[in-house]
Amino acid sequence: MAILEQTRTPDRVAEKIKKVQELYADAPEVGRVALKNGLEALKHELAAATGRESAGRIGARQGKVSELTAIVPLATGGGKRIRGLLDALEGNFRGADLVGTLHDMRFVLLDNDTKLLFCTTYDGEWDAYIDDFVTKIPNSMDILFCNCEGWPGIHSPKVKDYIVNTQHTADAWYVASPNLTVAETRRLEKVGAAVDELLDKIG
Amino acid sequence: MSIVSESVAGSPSTQKPMLELHEIQSTVLRLRPAPYFGSHVALRVDDARAGRELLRRLTPHVDSAADWWKPASAWLSVAISYAGLEALGVPQDSLQSFPEAFRVGMAARSRELRDEGVNDPKNWEPLFGKGQIHIGLNAFSDSKEKWQRIVEMARGQYQSLSGIGVVNVQDFGAQPDDLNSLGYKDGIDQPPIEGSGVDPLPGQGRPIKAGEFILGYPGEAGVPLPMPQPDILGRNGTYVGYRKYQSRVGAFNRFLRANGSTEEERELLAAKLVGRWRSGAPLTLAPDVDNPALGADPKRNNDFNYANDTHGRQVPFGAHIRRMNPRDTQLTRLTDVNIHRVIRRGTTYGKPYDPNAFSQEDDEVPRGAIFLFISAKAMATMEFLQQEWIDEGNFIGIGSERDPIIGRQEEGAVFTIPKEPVRRRVHGIETFNVLRGGEYFFMPSISALKWVASLSG
Repeated sequence: MAILEQTRTPDRVAEKIKKVQELYADAPEVGRVALKNGLEALKHELAAATGRESAGRIGARQGKVSELTAIVPLATGGGKRIRGLLDALEGNFRGADLVGTLHDMRFVLLDNDTKLLFCTTYDGEWDAYIDDFVTKIPNSMDILFCNCEGWPGIHSPKVKDYIVNTQHTADAWYVASPNLTVAETRRLEKVGAAVDELLDKIG
Repeated sequence: MSIVSESVAGSPSTQKPMLELHEIQSTVLRLRPAPYFGSHVALRVDDARAGRELLRRLTPHVDSAADWWKPASAWLSVAISYAGLEALGVPQDSLQSFPEAFRVGMAARSRELRDEGVNDPKNWEPLFGKGQIHIGLNAFSDSKEKWQRIVEMARGQYQSLSGIGVVNVQDFGAQPDDLNSLGYKDGIDQPPIEGSGVDPLPGQGRPIKAGEFILGYPGEAGVPLPMPQPDILGRNGTYVGYRKYQSRVGAFNRFLRANGSTEEERELLAAKLVGRWRSGAPLTLAPDVDNPALGADPKRNNDFNYANDTHGRQVPFGAHIRRMNPRDTQLTRLTDVNIHRVIRRGTTYGKPYDPNAFSQEDDEVPRGAIFLFISAKAMATMEFLQQEWIDEGNFIGIGSERDPIIGRQEEGAVFTIPKEPVRRRVHGIETFNVLRGGEYFFMPSISALKWVASLSG
């Protein structure tokens, strides 16, 4: 595999560079200059590209980590409710720890609180645990997402389709540790602490 | 023997069954007899009218699950694949009401099922995954003679119809001793089903809502799962995931030999992989030595949880039974264990397990297991199990380790056995059961079989 990459890569990089240069022919001057000066660095970046992977039905994946980006119109009064709710939560979601697959969640109210941008990074396939949310945390899901226009309710068989229809797969996405799931991160934190404790005893 | 098979199902409940047992096919609820004999027959429907005529002829011989807890001597069930529903002339709007994973079939879902590498559909036996298996019959019996009689009866019905082709006949049964192809007693832990007419066995946990297993009843979320339409077609039906595995007995024995220097060590390792001794005795109740009497007793052999084994020192976190039913194990992810259970009808085929088989040729001797995974959402559940509980370890805190029995192992795979003072990591674990093919079927109610049989066109 590595040998194959070496023989193939230079051509592909040259091809891509050519394409980018064509695209930037009508860019503002600052962009054209930057492309010229930054060409070497860009070549390295392009050579390191590993390709796109899908998180299942929708969304991108890097290793074991997936992304979900959704833009949802809010229902009448939904903007006021969800802003109030997020304020009451002091902008945090510590309780989501128990889900165990969520690396982060981001809620951004857009356009005068008429739309919600929801982004999350999570482990595995996008819909593997949705049924578990239905039986384990249905109220949390409905309290939050009832503010979205057309939310069918977490118990509805249409809920997966609803989510898919609001999602936009990321066109590009960087993940520092694509093989570290939340569970693995927590395990490594524990291992690190245990090793320090052991070394403290010896040292 | 008959006493064992009688009590395995649990005691009849004092409450009347809530399920319409006379509508549900026998195989859905009835446990495998002991000993057992049987066949899986795969048929192709070349002519819709002939196919419906076959269903008309077979339906009177299809047994229902009424009184399923009482021992029965022989029974026949009929299941239909999506290609089969098409071939039988089921109307388009009904066809479209089936879930997508069922419509495209098991082979087309290989990515979601993690059926890759040796398990990739391109390596399957050619009869599978090509849309040519339309009707699946299975016959179970407790005696050779009655099994042959029921198979003969079915043959009599399909052989005389010119529009029906026989794709394959696979006999099964595990004699002597009902041990599976790796030498274990299996099929012990089945999910308890609410309203099925039987109280749970000790250790089975609270009954799970029937809608998880049979269409038309509320599931764990309080609502019925989406059902194929019209109602008469969907209600009291269920889905069956059929998976045929070849057991690589040589590789399995070589692994035990390489990692255990005495018979005792090898048998303990074999028990750690599964979580039970070969006798069926659970390690939780018999942590140090086998207890065959315990293994044989259905009232005791499943009566445990992991409350006193939170470190996995009795049953490793990666052991097969702890993965397939984590019970009260603290999982790393928010999980409702009760919505990921399936009814399993394991059927062993081919040569019995041979403890003295060590060669690579032994890996290819036809022998293994055909599982019927039965659930009202069998496709979604199998994808979940393959992704999360079988070919992963993250859910239970063991990184990327896989199920040692039915997982597909990658180069350098390990199996961790928690132990004091330090854990043991066993290297060189291989894929002991290789997937050789599979199909999804719908197992309709008796009324639905009649409904399909009476279609016109």
